[in-house]
Amino acid sequence: MTFSPVLSPRPNPPGTKMATNATAAKAKALAILNNSRAVPSPSVASTPGDGGLDLAEQMNDEVRRRFVSGTRLGEGTYAIVYSGHYRHDPSKLVAIKKIKLNADFKDGIAMDAIREIKFLSELSHPNIIQLHAVFSTKDQNISLVLEHLPLGDLEMLWKNHSISYGGADIKSWANMLCQAVWFCHENYVLHRDIKGNNLLISADGTVKLADFGLARSFADPGRDMTCNVITRFYRPPELLLGCRHYGGCVDVWSTGCVIAELAIREFFLPSETDIQQLSVICDVFGIPTEETWPGVSKLRHYEASFGAAAPKHPHGINYWKQRFPLLGEDGIDLLRGMLRMDPMKRLSATQVLQHPYWTNAPRPTKKENLPKQGGGEKTMGEDLKRRGGEIETGRLDKVARKLDFGAMKK
Amino acid sequence: MKLSEDDIYRTSTQYKHWSFTPAQLAAQRQKTNLVAAERVKANVARQRATRAKQLDTASASESDRANTPGIENGNGEGGSTPARPGGEVECLTVAEEMKLVDVFCERALELGAFCGFPIEVTATGIQFLRRFYLYNSPMTYEGQNISRTCIFLANKTEGIHVTAEEYAAKFSNVTSDQVLAPEYLIVQALRFNFDVRHPFRGLKGAHLELWEIAKGKFAPLPHDSRTGEAAQAEMLALPTKTGEPAGKRVSVNEFEKRLTATYNAASAVLKTAALLTDAYFLYPPSQIMLAAHLLADEPLTLFYLSTKLPPSSPIHAKLLSTIRACATLLSSHRSFTSSSTIKEEKEARDKKEKSAVAALIKKLRHCRDPDKLDLVQLNQAHKRDAVQDGSLEEQKAKRRKLEREKAKKEADDFWGPELPKNGAKAG
Repeated sequence: MTFSPVLSPRPNPPGTKMATNATAAKAKALAILNNSRAVPSPSVASTPGDGGLDLAEQMNDEVRRRFVSGTRLGEGTYAIVYSGHYRHDPSKLVAIKKIKLNADFKDGIAMDAIREIKFLSELSHPNIIQLHAVFSTKDQNISLVLEHLPLGDLEMLWKNHSISYGGADIKSWANMLCQAVWFCHENYVLHRDIKGNNLLISADGTVKLADFGLARSFADPGRDMTCNVITRFYRPPELLLGCRHYGGCVDVWSTGCVIAELAIREFFLPSETDIQQLSVICDVFGIPTEETWPGVSKLRHYEASFGAAAPKHPHGINYWKQRFPLLGEDGIDLLRGMLRMDPMKRLSATQVLQHPYWTNAPRPTKKENLPKQGGGEKTMGEDLKRRGGEIETGRLDKVARKLDFGAMKK
Repeated sequence: MKLSEDDIYRTSTQYKHWSFTPAQLAAQRQKTNLVAAERVKANVARQRATRAKQLDTASASESDRANTPGIENGNGEGGSTPARPGGEVECLTVAEEMKLVDVFCERALELGAFCGFPIEVTATGIQFLRRFYLYNSPMTYEGQNISRTCIFLANKTEGIHVTAEEYAAKFSNVTSDQVLAPEYLIVQALRFNFDVRHPFRGLKGAHLELWEIAKGKFAPLPHDSRTGEAAQAEMLALPTKTGEPAGKRVSVNEFEKRLTATYNAASAVLKTAALLTDAYFLYPPSQIMLAAHLLADEPLTLFYLSTKLPPSSPIHAKLLSTIRACATLLSSHRSFTSSSTIKEEKEARDKKEKSAVAALIKKLRHCRDPDKLDLVQLNQAHKRDAVQDGSLEEQKAKRRKLEREKAKKEADDFWGPELPKNGAKAG
């Protein structure tokens, strides 16, 4: 086994000490289960005192009691987010995301919630938001206890012009993002909604990928997937053209868009509609042909989109050099590799991490030296409450978001 | 830069929360059985006391007696407590419970096939069912309801959207409320772990790898000094039974038939015996896959293993004995048939099984927990309690806020409120 070139992404190599602070919660959860398991001859007296609760209900209550819920941070159509902390240690902060019961939804627990819980429970990585626990309350609402990430998100960061940053900082953020994406793909999980405001920042400056409400595992070859995923600005051309078979390359495109945004401090490929999105992409990358992208003309929406269009050629290297001076030549090479129209030619997440950009000068800024902003708990609330794929514009205009909770010390 | 399969598996909830030693598994089942039996006895006693009281008062007016509703007939699914008053309820033993859970699993497999769901969905649903009954007893919760909802939930966790209504419509006399009622109960018992790792893809992978070797395109690992040609030659001359000397070399086309037959046989085991036993609790998917492969074609499986590990390695010996143990478990299941199984013998076995199950179900009728018979009502009561507990105010405030926001949005909208997009969303 080899390690990723920059910062080993392996969270806990098997056999090493499990119960460092990050994993303490899980270890504890395990211990509880182990205790209940380890009773070889259960005593008959287990019924009184349990209040007539099932074993499963008891376990759930046990988990719920470990956390204290605090002020409400944000509310969306999908969830309400509260700040909270561990009962035994109020300095250990968490965010509690309570999934709303939707009266209109007649199919029980919402798919978004199931997906988010399913994938976050399996993924444990320093650049992916940690799911400490899940519990349900009496009124049958499900609550996710998530890592507390108070310093805003990457989109706020580039939008905030009181903060200045440089190429080494971008490299550091981009690397954390790419490791998160790589880890998802190694675990056969597609995120399908990578964008600046799903990349939250922890108190120590670490970037963490959040919101797995649209995630899914890699499909078996030949099985259809939906192409109506990923927030529009970040949606790759093959999905816009109606492709139903895809792999990790869709996330790599979105990741490339996020890195581009960090470098130019504006949306890289903004548009109003799906059709316009395709034309915005083609303005930069040209209209794909069978020559540049074998098989493209067989995609469902190809004829309708490009059937009668005049050929359009991609921008040359000068466009990239002018627009992305902060990335440097190697950074531009990486970015273009991540943003190839043909998904077969696009870099995989592994290839992205092998790119010389990461090891060339300048070295990525150390986490503790990264520029930080006071995004505040409010932003975390806003970011976590959203349903996957939602676009919110003009968020910064809202006064409430300017409140600075970020200065709050642990 | 690659995580090994082991690294990935060790971080899974299946490994962390749902893998056991046989002793742990037995202890948990013992505990679940004990708790459930205690409760059944207590609840039945309480119910009898109430009924005796009712009868006392009712005996004054004889006509009332006929109208006294049996509480246990809440959903009309026939769970009457024994008629002998005062007699001790005879509860199920752990072994009997396990047997019943196995039956539920078999029925769930049929249910999945009946609905035409992909095997991963049904397989996940069955594991949900087995996990559920690790912490709950069939005496407490009825198997039919639980397995139906487990399969429904499995559709959602495997990313397939089926509405509760569509799903309920597949059965006669089932409402979507009945499908949804135990959902929270189940997700809680599953500890919100929705990911189940299956051996199906691994089997496909092994099949493809073997096929490559058969074609002479062997890509050896560092320990292996065999050339592509040598590996191919060895493979094509593999005996059909372990211990026999190498046979005559067959053609690649001929060998393909053997590979396909092996794949099909192993796949059949993975889709039945592997799901219907404790295999998932006791072994990781890769070992289950290898065990099924071993049952299908032992010499081929041993050859495959030799391409992964040097036969001299101590891990090789350990792995092989684990796989053999798993294979024994899989082949012990009733559904397993090998070439040596005699038809009459199997029929006799099935018949015996059927009557044993019928007796068990009869026994179960007499020891059901009377408090948990009607899950729909129970679920509604749960929600009602919660509202009374104080979240009512919050909900009211929420609704008012939503209405306010909606009204404002509509007022802002020059063209007036948006028209409902379809019938379902209207109103």
